Amino acid sequence: MDYKSGVCNFCGTGCGNYLKITDGRITGVFSSRNHPVSKGRLCVRGWHLHEWLMTDQRIDAPMIRVDGSLKKVSYEEAVNFMMDRMSAYKGKENKEIGFLASPRSSNENNYLFMKLARGVFKTNNITLDSESGHKASLNVLSEGTGFAGMTGSLEDIAKTDFILVVGSDLTKMNPIIGSEIHKAQMSGTKVVTICSRSSQIAKLSNVHLQIKPGSKKVILGALAKAAISSGAADSDYISKFTEGVEVFKNSVNSLEPADIEALTGADYSLITSIAEELCKSSSAMAFWSTGIAGLDQDTVSYIYDLFLVAGKIGKEFSGVNPIAGIANLQGGYDMGAAPDLLTGFQKINSDAASKFEKAWGTTLNKEAGRDIYDLLADKNSGLKALVVADHDEGIVRYEKEIEALDFVVYFGAYDNPFIKHADVVFPVAALIEDNGTYTNTERRVQLSQKRIEPFENVMPGWKLFPMIAAKASQNWNYSSAEDVFKEITSLTPEYAGLTYAKLIDSMGIQWPCNDKNPAGCRRLDAEKAGRKFKFADVSGNYKTPSATAEYPFLLIRGQGEHFWHQNNIMKKSYIPKREYNATLLVFPEGYVEICKEDAKALQVREHWGVKIVSASGAMKVSVKISDDVKPGTAYVPYFIREMITEFLLEHKSDIGRGEDAIIPVRIERV
Amino acid sequence: MYLIEKNNVMKLAEELAKSYDLYGPVIDKETKQVFFNKVENASEISLTAEIPALPPKTIVFPQIERITKYKYDKTAKKAEIAMTYDDRSKAIFGIRPCDLTGILVLDRFFLGQEFVDDVYKEHRKRMFIVSNTCVVPFKQCFCVCTDSGPAADEGYDLNLTEIGDMYLVETGSEKGKAFAEKMGLKPAGDEYITLKKKAVDKSISLFEKVATDNKAWISRVMNRVTTGFIKDDVWKHIGNQCFECGACSFVCPTCSCFNIEDHNRFDGSTDRLREWDSCSFEGYTKMAGDHNPRHPVEDRRNKRFFCKLSYSQSKKYLRPGCVGCGRCQWVCPGDIGLPNVVTYIRREITE
Repeated sequence: MDYKSGVCNFCGTGCGNYLKITDGRITGVFSSRNHPVSKGRLCVRGWHLHEWLMTDQRIDAPMIRVDGSLKKVSYEEAVNFMMDRMSAYKGKENKEIGFLASPRSSNENNYLFMKLARGVFKTNNITLDSESGHKASLNVLSEGTGFAGMTGSLEDIAKTDFILVVGSDLTKMNPIIGSEIHKAQMSGTKVVTICSRSSQIAKLSNVHLQIKPGSKKVILGALAKAAISSGAADSDYISKFTEGVEVFKNSVNSLEPADIEALTGADYSLITSIAEELCKSSSAMAFWSTGIAGLDQDTVSYIYDLFLVAGKIGKEFSGVNPIAGIANLQGGYDMGAAPDLLTGFQKINSDAASKFEKAWGTTLNKEAGRDIYDLLADKNSGLKALVVADHDEGIVRYEKEIEALDFVVYFGAYDNPFIKHADVVFPVAALIEDNGTYTNTERRVQLSQKRIEPFENVMPGWKLFPMIAAKASQNWNYSSAEDVFKEITSLTPEYAGLTYAKLIDSMGIQWPCNDKNPAGCRRLDAEKAGRKFKFADVSGNYKTPSATAEYPFLLIRGQGEHFWHQNNIMKKSYIPKREYNATLLVFPEGYVEICKEDAKALQVREHWGVKIVSASGAMKVSVKISDDVKPGTAYVPYFIREMITEFLLEHKSDIGRGEDAIIPVRIERV
Repeated sequence: MYLIEKNNVMKLAEELAKSYDLYGPVIDKETKQVFFNKVENASEISLTAEIPALPPKTIVFPQIERITKYKYDKTAKKAEIAMTYDDRSKAIFGIRPCDLTGILVLDRFFLGQEFVDDVYKEHRKRMFIVSNTCVVPFKQCFCVCTDSGPAADEGYDLNLTEIGDMYLVETGSEKGKAFAEKMGLKPAGDEYITLKKKAVDKSISLFEKVATDNKAWISRVMNRVTTGFIKDDVWKHIGNQCFECGACSFVCPTCSCFNIEDHNRFDGSTDRLREWDSCSFEGYTKMAGDHNPRHPVEDRRNKRFFCKLSYSQSKKYLRPGCVGCGRCQWVCPGDIGLPNVVTYIRREITE
C-alpha cells in the first residue's frame, strides 16, 4: 500500500492524513476519513503538504562558517566547532546563551533541545518561536484550573449548544476547526463571533458583533456584567466550583451600559440577550487564536472569567479553547520550551526540578530564564550566542539584533533565510524521516511515523543532540525517538500513560493520560478536578484606542490567506505559492481594506496607491474596497516582508498586545 | 457472458497480474480506509470494500507526476531533455461504475478533442479494466441520479456482477472476450440476463434505505444552471461557505484541471511536474494585469457547478460531469458538496 497514515504539520488542528510514498519518495497526500478531528477534510495547506515535503531545498550536510562563508564538514567537526566556540559563553551564570525552539519540531526534538539548553548549557533562556498568545492562554488556564491546555475537545464542537468565537478568522487560520464550527451552526448550534471585520467565520455565524477596533475586553466584560445583573449567571456553579468571583464582579460592574455602547458600538440589549443565551445554553465553548497574532493575557482572562460566570468550564461539551496556529505549539510548551517551565507545565523553580536533576544526572539552574525576544530587544541584555531550531518568525522582527550576535547555531531540515546569520548549521531529519509525536491544540498527542529514509542520510534529533551532549561529557543514551519519548513520559505526569504502541493503535490520545485516565482525557471535569477554579485577575482597564482628527482611521491587522509564518514553508510548495503570488501580482506592496464610503471620501479607487501614516511610521500600499470593514476602520493583512519590517515594527509596544494592537492612522492619496 | 465461482474470482486478478501492474481496492490495515492502489498480490484486493476514498483517476491522472526531465549544461549550452511517460501496462480490477464513468469522462477530455494528451494516453492505452457492479449501494452514493450506476454500461473489458455464489462475467471488448476464453470460463445461460437485471433493480430499490447521505436530483438543476437563472444570492450563500481548499476537485472522478511546475532537484536536474489544480483557487484564473474573469469566490464556485451540470459542458463529456460518487460531500469543509448545492438550487426553484 502506497498510502501511509500520518499527521499534518501545518497548523495546530492536527488533521490526520495519508502520504503517498512511491519508491521511497513522497508523491501525494490524501485526507483521513476516520480521523476524529479532520474526518476526511484538509485545508489548502494540508492538501499540498506533499509539495513541501518533496522539496529539494534542504540542508544536506553540517556546515561551519569559515572566513565568512559556510563550508560543509562532518558532524564531528561541526560539533567540535560549536562546543569550542560556545565554551567562551559558559559560566557567568550562563546569561549570554539563548535557545530558540521551534513549534514545528516534534515533542522528542523539543525535549532534547530543552534538555540541551538546561542540562548542558545551564541556561533557562529558552523560548518557543512564534509564541506570545499561546503561552498567555496557557498561563490563564493553568493558573485558574491547573489544566495547561484546551479544557474542551474539538470532537465535541458538533455537540455543543453555543459557541463564542473571539477575533481571528478561524476559517483561514485553522480551517478544519472553522469547518467544524460552521457545520455545528448548520445543525443548530448558536454561533456568536466578536470581530471588527466581517471575516468568513463572522459571515457564517448567527450573530456577528462587529465591534469597534480594540474593544474586545469591553464587550467581554459587558457580557459578564449582563450575565450577572440579569441573574442568568450560574450561581450554583460559581459557588460550588469557583473562587474569587467578587473581584471580577467589581471589575465588570464599573462598566455602564452607555459607555459600553459608546466604546464597542454594540447595542446593550443585544449584549444582554447573548449573555443570557450563553448562560442558559446546555453547553458552550469559546474559541480564540493564539500564537504571534493572538490575544493578550488580559483579554484571555476576560474570556475565561466570562465562561466561569456562565458555568461552562469543566462540563460536558463545554470549554475554553485556545487555538494553536502551528502544529506543535502546544507540544512545545508541554516539552518545557519556555523560560520558566520544565515538561508538562512543571515550574523550573519548583520541587519538580530535582526530579529532572536526578534523571539527567546533572545540576540545573533553578532561576527562571528570560524570553529570547525580550533579550534581543534589550540592548543591554548581554546575549551573545543563540541556538535556534527550525525557525520561521522572529527573524523579521529582530534581524539586526541577530546579526549582531557573536555566535549563532542553526538546526533544521530545510533551507531557511536564517542560515545566512548562522555560524554552524546542522541538518536534521524532517517529518516522516523519523518517528516523532506532535501535540495538537486539543492536547491530542499523535505519532507521526517514519515512512522514508532521511534526505542524504542526515541524522535524526535523537542521534544528533546526544553527540553534542557527549562533548560536554554527558552520556545521553537513546537508540530511537521512542527512547526519548519514554524519558518524557517518565518525567511528565500528563504524559505518564502514553506509549508509542498505544499511539500507533489510536489516532492520537489526549493528555492527561495516566493511571486514572489510561485512554486519555477528552475534557477537564469540574467534578473530578479536586480543586476550585480560580477567577483570573483582570486589569479593569477598558480604555480603547480612539481615532483623532489627525489619525481618523483605526488600523487592524491580520494575516494574508496564503502567507503562513513568513512563508518559509509555503514558498516550497507550488499551488499555495501560486496563490500567494496571485495576490502579490495585484498588490505588490500589500493592500489596505477600507469601505466604499471611506474610499469615496478619500477620493481613491480600487488599486490606487495610498500612504498610511501613523504617529511612528508610514508605508505605501494599494487600496482594496470591501464591505467587510466599517467606516473608520482600515484592515491590513500582512503578507509582505516590508510591511512588517518598515511599518509594523515601528509599533513594537502595540505589537505586544497581539490581535488587539490597534494603530490610529491617516490615509493619504499618493 | 460467462460465470465464475465467487471463491475463484480472484484467479482473474492473479492471471492479469502476470502481464499487467495490478490495481484494485485495498483496505488500509491500520485505519480501515479504502484506497484504489497498486498491489503486489491479488489477495490484497477486496471486491466488497466500500467506495475507495480516492478515485482510481489517480492511476491515469496522478496527483503529481513527472512528465519531462531536463538538465541544462551551462558551459556546453546544451539541454538534455527526456520525456518520462509512464508506459507500464495497468490492469484495474474491481472499479465501481461511477469511477469507471469518471475515467470515460476524462478520456473525452484528454483524448476525445482536437488535442490529444500524450501523457494521459500512455497511462490509458494498454489498460485492462474489470468493473464491479454495486449490488448494494453505499451510504454516500447517488449514481442513480446521475446515470452512472449501479451497473456499468460501457468502458470495461470485463464486468463482474455478484449473483448468488457466482460472479456473472460480461465482456465489453475483444480483449476481454479473449481473456475470458483463455481463462476457460463457463458460459452463462440466458437466464442470467434476467438475474442480473433483478440484482441491479434490487440495488436501485435499496438506495432509499441505504444511500441516505446524499440526494441530488440533478435534471431540473441542469436546466437552471444552463440557462443562468439562478439568483446571485444563492451563489453567494454557496460562495460564503467555500473554504477554497480545492478538495472537491481533487476527489472528483471527472475533474481534469492541472498545473505545470518545474521542480529543481538537488543534483542540478529539473523535473517538470504536472499536478492537480482546482477552479476554486483564485490564482487558477488570474491573468496578467490583474484580470480575473472569476474574481469573487462565488464566481469560482459557480463555475465548478457549471462545469459539472450545464448542457454545454455535458455535450463535451456526452453526459453530466457528476458521476454521483458523493466524495465531494465528505471532504468539503464548507458543507457545499455537489449534492448540497443541488439542494440549495432546487430549494430556490421550489420557492
